[in-house]
Amino acid sequence: MRTLRTSLVLLGFLLWASAAQAAHTQAQLVLANTTARPGDTVLAGVHLKMESGWHTYWKNPGDAGMATKIKWELPPGVTNGDTEWPLPQKLPPEEVTTYGYENEVVLLVPLKLASDLKPGPLTLKAKVSWLECKEQCIPASAEVQATLDVGNETKTSPDAALLNLWMSKTPQTNNLFSFHARWEKSTDSDNRTLIIEGTQTAADIIPIEKADFFPDASDQLDIQGATEKVDSKNGFALRKTIKKLSGDWPSRISGVVVIEGNNQRWGFELNEPIASLGTSSTPAVAPESPTPSSSSAQPTQPLWKMLLYAFVGGLILNIMPCVLPVIALKILGFVGEARNAPGRVRLLGLVYTLGVLLSFIALAAIVIGIKSAGHRAGWGMQFGDPRFVAGLTILVVLVALNLFGVFEVNLGGRAMSAAGELASKHGFAGAFFNGVLATILATPCTAPFLSIALGFAFSQQAAIILLIFLSVGVGLALPYLVLSFQPSWLKWLPKPGAWMEKFKMFMGFPMLATAIWLFTLVSGGTDKSTTLWFGLFLIALATGVWLWGEFVQRGSARRGLAATASITLIAGVGLYALTRGSDQIQWQPWSQTAVAQAQAQGHPVLVDFTADWCLTCQVNKKVAIEVPSVRAKLKQIGSVNLVGDYTRLPDNITAELNHYSRAGVPLVLVFPGKTDAAPEVLPEVLTPGVVIAALDQAAK
Amino acid sequence: MKQMIALLGAIALASSAFAAAEVGKPAPDFTGTDINGKTVNLSDYKGKIVVLESYNQDCPYCHNQFRSGAMQELQKEMTAKGVVWLMVNSVNPHNSSHRTPEEARAEWKDQKLNATAWIDDSSGKIGHLYAMKTTPHMFVIDKNGVLVYDGAIDDQPDPDHNPREAHNYVRAAIDQITSGEKVTVSQTKPYGCAVKYGG
Repeated sequence: MRTLRTSLVLLGFLLWASAAQAAHTQAQLVLANTTARPGDTVLAGVHLKMESGWHTYWKNPGDAGMATKIKWELPPGVTNGDTEWPLPQKLPPEEVTTYGYENEVVLLVPLKLASDLKPGPLTLKAKVSWLECKEQCIPASAEVQATLDVGNETKTSPDAALLNLWMSKTPQTNNLFSFHARWEKSTDSDNRTLIIEGTQTAADIIPIEKADFFPDASDQLDIQGATEKVDSKNGFALRKTIKKLSGDWPSRISGVVVIEGNNQRWGFELNEPIASLGTSSTPAVAPESPTPSSSSAQPTQPLWKMLLYAFVGGLILNIMPCVLPVIALKILGFVGEARNAPGRVRLLGLVYTLGVLLSFIALAAIVIGIKSAGHRAGWGMQFGDPRFVAGLTILVVLVALNLFGVFEVNLGGRAMSAAGELASKHGFAGAFFNGVLATILATPCTAPFLSIALGFAFSQQAAIILLIFLSVGVGLALPYLVLSFQPSWLKWLPKPGAWMEKFKMFMGFPMLATAIWLFTLVSGGTDKSTTLWFGLFLIALATGVWLWGEFVQRGSARRGLAATASITLIAGVGLYALTRGSDQIQWQPWSQTAVAQAQAQGHPVLVDFTADWCLTCQVNKKVAIEVPSVRAKLKQIGSVNLVGDYTRLPDNITAELNHYSRAGVPLVLVFPGKTDAAPEVLPEVLTPGVVIAALDQAAK
Repeated sequence: MKQMIALLGAIALASSAFAAAEVGKPAPDFTGTDINGKTVNLSDYKGKIVVLESYNQDCPYCHNQFRSGAMQELQKEMTAKGVVWLMVNSVNPHNSSHRTPEEARAEWKDQKLNATAWIDDSSGKIGHLYAMKTTPHMFVIDKNGVLVYDGAIDDQPDPDHNPREAHNYVRAAIDQITSGEKVTVSQTKPYGCAVKYGG
């Protein structure tokens, strides 16, 4: 038995050895130390020796090829750092630029030993895979290993010199140049030229004969290999052509600047903001911290325009049927009564105005309160959020139906009668409460208008909300204020009558136009089937509301039946539309509780931490998350999908990012549907394949 | 003055000769010879969707698409729909991966290829015209002769994945243009081995 096992092992070894032989590259793991103490960092190197004419690739292979990969299999207590890549060569041919190594290279990796590591020999292993090319390319891999003694002293190994030599060939942190990068011009929408300049901080430290720039790898950009040297004193200037494959133009560039002179070659790390097109050669320093973009995705109206609309809206309220007959008569009464004392009337007019304005300030305060509470609760009340716009569309449709007289809005009778009582008092208190009453009593007509103002105001800042509401108030109060100063203008005031009802209905049509505009915003952000079902839901809603108005509010018999029918219709079609139209991923706001809850219910959880200013996040979402294959997979495994918006850098998300050792977004997590199960942390740049594989794993 | 005009003319000619393929613009026309000696003009296929595939079976990235039969299936499916699929082999004659027409015909049979034609581009003329960088490097031209996709075959840039499970950008682009939609992913970074152009 033992012989059989031995011979199998031997056979395996022979097969492995022959496979390694077939490759044109030999791989070996070397260590800078033979013995090290717990807590030490030991420099390891993967030594690749290529046969003559063959090459392997750098971390950015360039237009073709594949970066060499090292997969560590380390014993507990040993962790590997990032791979340090020695400066590569730019490889021929010219038309397909690649970056790689000929003859040999040592890829360097620091290995950190835990301070509580037990003494004794450790076997360190890694699987190295690479693509080697000459006339042809061959993928190859090898298992490499080395032994390290853990003891109470540090002993250097014979390979330390080799490792140090290659360490000296890795790019150094730049301290000799002041670099800056700027866009020079765009030749068309997808091509731009980039100028990278470097000035030596002290004159002529390095004789610069040649300069080049090797970029870091990018899926979104194609940084062409050819480099033009542009004259520059005491430094260098390079021109690179950059082709954009997807996404936005980057705001930073990173890679290695390669300088040659005196038969030597140096590499300097570069990571610089790119100054925008049209700025002069002085470097425009981009802000280090990401700038949150404006909260509304819609082109925002100038403030004065919004205020003007609000003011006109307030004026129109005056001739709505619920306001004109009731309030007008009361106000006109006190204006008429005090004809003898014009000074007192003016004062009463001012007090009335104050009553209206204070009521509107109170309304604005409520809106601001709800908004800030909602912000804490994580509602995304922005025009960019289709749910918000959909809600607003529903509201506007309801308002139009209300104006057509399909149904009524009633405010609780008690508040109204209380306000009416107060308003019936004479003098200043009476005038003040008339103002309050004007606001409250007018609610059946004003509520629709105000609700829209409120809806739009939700996406604004507190100060703007207040200003908008005050403008409506000023509009509402102004005619009476004017009349109290000029009672003779009373004759210009229209008389209440049936025309008001017609005018109210007429106002329903601009409201419908608003609904259509909002509807296009919703459909712009979703797919065809969602749009269709949203439209059908609006029709069902209208029908349900008509049932309510006609048979519940105005009907006499079988009101319960009518109410049931109305609610069933709206809720039924609503729910059906949600399931039918929900082709888009149903995102909910992220919180730790939401994750725990979903896990407890057995749902796998997809968490996407993202931000408006995060390009990678947008690209990930577009190419690897909001794609049909991933949508289908999410639906299939019944996952709960949570989005954490990091645009404004909330502390709780910062804490969560730190928990996963990320300095920022993107961070995408996939949790299995079991309580307390740890998530799979997805790489920063995603493909649908990666996401689907993680979801499959989580659903197991 | 005459010299000036001649110079400008020369510049115009030179720049038009170098008018590289660009997404959203008309695909540059070319004439080539297939492995059966037939002349192939891109302009002959106006009104049809055309796929260009830079090809080298010795490249492990290309081979990965073919060894499972996935690429042949895609070729068959697309040509059955009326799509013209042109394989372009730009390997120079001094490279060991170069194929003479006889070798190419044998490989066509052996690999059960289903493309419309295999164009012998050992001069690299078409490859350079389209700035083909890797094998594979894919191009999709719509019925109006406009280049609508330029990039990788799929979203898994490695030589050992299952191509049937990857997201195939060419299939996606063709599906979108046949259903009258705009191609959403129109440019990606091609991956694979460098095209073995002659020095």
